[in-house]
Amino acid sequence: MSFTRMMEGNEAAAWGALLSRAQVVPAYPITPQTELISSIASLIAEGKMKAEYIKVEGEHTAMAAAVGASAMGARVFTASSSQGIVFMEEALWMPPGMRLPIGMCIVNRAIAPIGGLRPDHNDSLLQRDTGWIQLYCENSQEVLDTIIMGYRIGEDKRIYLPVATCYDGYFVSATATPTTVPSQAEVDEFLPPYKHEMYSLLPEDWKPRPYRENIAASRYEVQQAHEKAKKVIEDVDKEYRKRFGRGYDGALEEYNCDGAEAVLVTMGSMTGTVRDVIDELRVKGKKIGLVKLRCFRPFPTEELQRLAKKYHAIAVVDRNTSYGSAGGGIVSMEVARALYALDDRPLLLNFHVGLGGTDVTMRQIDYMADETLKAVKAGKVKEAVDWVEFKDLGPVM
Amino acid sequence: MTLDNKFDEYYEKNFYQGGTTCCPGCGGPLLWRMILEALGPNTIVYGDGPCAMCAIRNIKLPTFSIHFSFIADGATGILAALRAKGRQDITVISSGGDGATGDISLGKVSAAAERNENMIQICVDNEAYMNTGIQKSGLTPFGAWTTTTPTGKENNKKEIPMIIAAHRVPYVATASISYPRDLKAKIEKAKGIKGFKYIHTVIPCPTGWRFDPAKSVEVTRLGVDTWAWPLFEIEQGTLKISAKPEQKPITEYLSAQGRFRQMKPEHVEYLQKEIDSKRISLLESNGRKLFL
Amino acid sequence: MSSVVRSFRPEVDQKKCVKCGLCQQFCPEGTVIVSDEGAVFDYRFCKGCGVCGNECRVKAITMVREV
Repeated sequence: MSFTRMMEGNEAAAWGALLSRAQVVPAYPITPQTELISSIASLIAEGKMKAEYIKVEGEHTAMAAAVGASAMGARVFTASSSQGIVFMEEALWMPPGMRLPIGMCIVNRAIAPIGGLRPDHNDSLLQRDTGWIQLYCENSQEVLDTIIMGYRIGEDKRIYLPVATCYDGYFVSATATPTTVPSQAEVDEFLPPYKHEMYSLLPEDWKPRPYRENIAASRYEVQQAHEKAKKVIEDVDKEYRKRFGRGYDGALEEYNCDGAEAVLVTMGSMTGTVRDVIDELRVKGKKIGLVKLRCFRPFPTEELQRLAKKYHAIAVVDRNTSYGSAGGGIVSMEVARALYALDDRPLLLNFHVGLGGTDVTMRQIDYMADETLKAVKAGKVKEAVDWVEFKDLGPVM
Repeated sequence: MTLDNKFDEYYEKNFYQGGTTCCPGCGGPLLWRMILEALGPNTIVYGDGPCAMCAIRNIKLPTFSIHFSFIADGATGILAALRAKGRQDITVISSGGDGATGDISLGKVSAAAERNENMIQICVDNEAYMNTGIQKSGLTPFGAWTTTTPTGKENNKKEIPMIIAAHRVPYVATASISYPRDLKAKIEKAKGIKGFKYIHTVIPCPTGWRFDPAKSVEVTRLGVDTWAWPLFEIEQGTLKISAKPEQKPITEYLSAQGRFRQMKPEHVEYLQKEIDSKRISLLESNGRKLFL
Repeated sequence: MSSVVRSFRPEVDQKKCVKCGLCQQFCPEGTVIVSDEGAVFDYRFCKGCGVCGNECRVKAITMVREV
């Protein structure tokens, strides 16, 4: 029976795992993911969710148990944050290379030192080379929907890749927003049971894991799976919208961009605030729109190149740092590489904001939009990498 | 039937292909042949890591591994998935080397023991990190040469069976390939018990221990006979010694291996005393519930 | 099958062999079978480690230099 109520992101994620009929959940608690796993434990205890929650002793073990269970043919769900993601790093490389479609939530939290409990995106972005598909969510509803879509994407026979549903700790995980929970019957029609075609561990049916002697060839295959995933992500989103009435435009969403000269590119919960500010600015006649980057891996290069042709400037808002990088934050470098192939490139701005989970304020967004439009007017960028938090913008409100 | 066919049939029947890439005389393949004989076909083998992993490659049953720092955890996941599928008939045996079980993944084995996972956890102990070229591990015995302890290991061997027994698991045992009937009986017994079973086996390594490969089984037997490697079981907390051989002096065991060549007489004396006191306390506690 | 590099190979004197099966039990590779004729070896995979010769109680197996 479908129902709607106010729900925090973590609880919505638990419902997503329940509806996806996850069978094995090996997880270790870490703020801000704890309510997710305790919700799952409660749902199992209440008989609503038919899964086994393995209370492992560490995140490294959690991912290893996930690998074992997935290889054995069970649909696996797990979740972690920050230090936990870094601790399970060794294990995180296994599912993509082994083509195991595990579903995981990364509840974003800054990594120590000078970390704390609040969110930034370094923990999930750190994993960008491992081969996990990464989708970033703005609110509880999107978290629930993305988890379900994630299994459909990852378990696709052309793909067989694990999917990380990323959402900001506290701003999404612990903030209640209206969430519609679809019925189990509806989700069952959309998401068939998990059956791995490539290998089996049962003694009567043993198909050893496909093993390529040539390392380059096996890596290339994972890369190809990412290429194919781009279309699968779009298709799955369209089908979800048709069945459930909710969709997220696939890999990226253009918001209020008609006639815009420039766009801000954001990821995660700050997108919600930026939507409001953009709406205000458009009413005032400022020609700036918003591009929400939902899928970071596989990176939507072609889509970005297509829409870049429309704008004079693209401002990437990075809630992460990459010390000593070629220039700026992680997302801006991906965008730069995507745009490099174009003959006529828009200006590229990069803002660091919300680091360590500080609030991204409307005033800061105003400032970023302003700087971007100034750059369009001047035809050049004043500061290649702008650390917004150090700018004196006056009182917050 | 040609001789080749006869052997191929033999390998199929025993679920073990002859001709591993292990060193000649390695105890690893020998151990796995004995284990599989005791377990039978409805088995999944999880584990990797020690150079005895070359032995695992030749197993003709489902095997799965991640890496050597992943002991008992992948098997935990496999077991959960088997429960989800309603397959309680399959035995899961999880293996790890001494470095994996005793050092890098000790926490994992401990946690699997605490959760009482329904697996047989085997420690394939060749007493050093052999796969990477003979480096010391926590389970290297006192006085042994390794590349990282060229003057002999300074500390005692970690007592993993007792550590695991302290978790109050249903079954803990030590076994040796030089006593095959005892080893197979222990594996069979473990198969029939529900819960976490831990079996610690010593695997002779001619390459790392420095002896003629032909003496592989003989050296292992000496380990048991000198009480350097006592065979016992701890079932539901009660200690039961499996073999009470007439104790041979430790010098016989040490002189049979090149890795103890540089041991000083006072260290040999110390080692003999340690073994003597361990033997006495084991005999005294035989048949009793251990306070662990 | 790739060729196994061996320095020694086991040879058995079937007249001495009492078919006790110890060589089969202790061969690390599993390349010895004790049958009615006595001990037979799978020279495709035997590594020549010599455990069989060492364990044989009646010294029926000798390790012969191959290379």
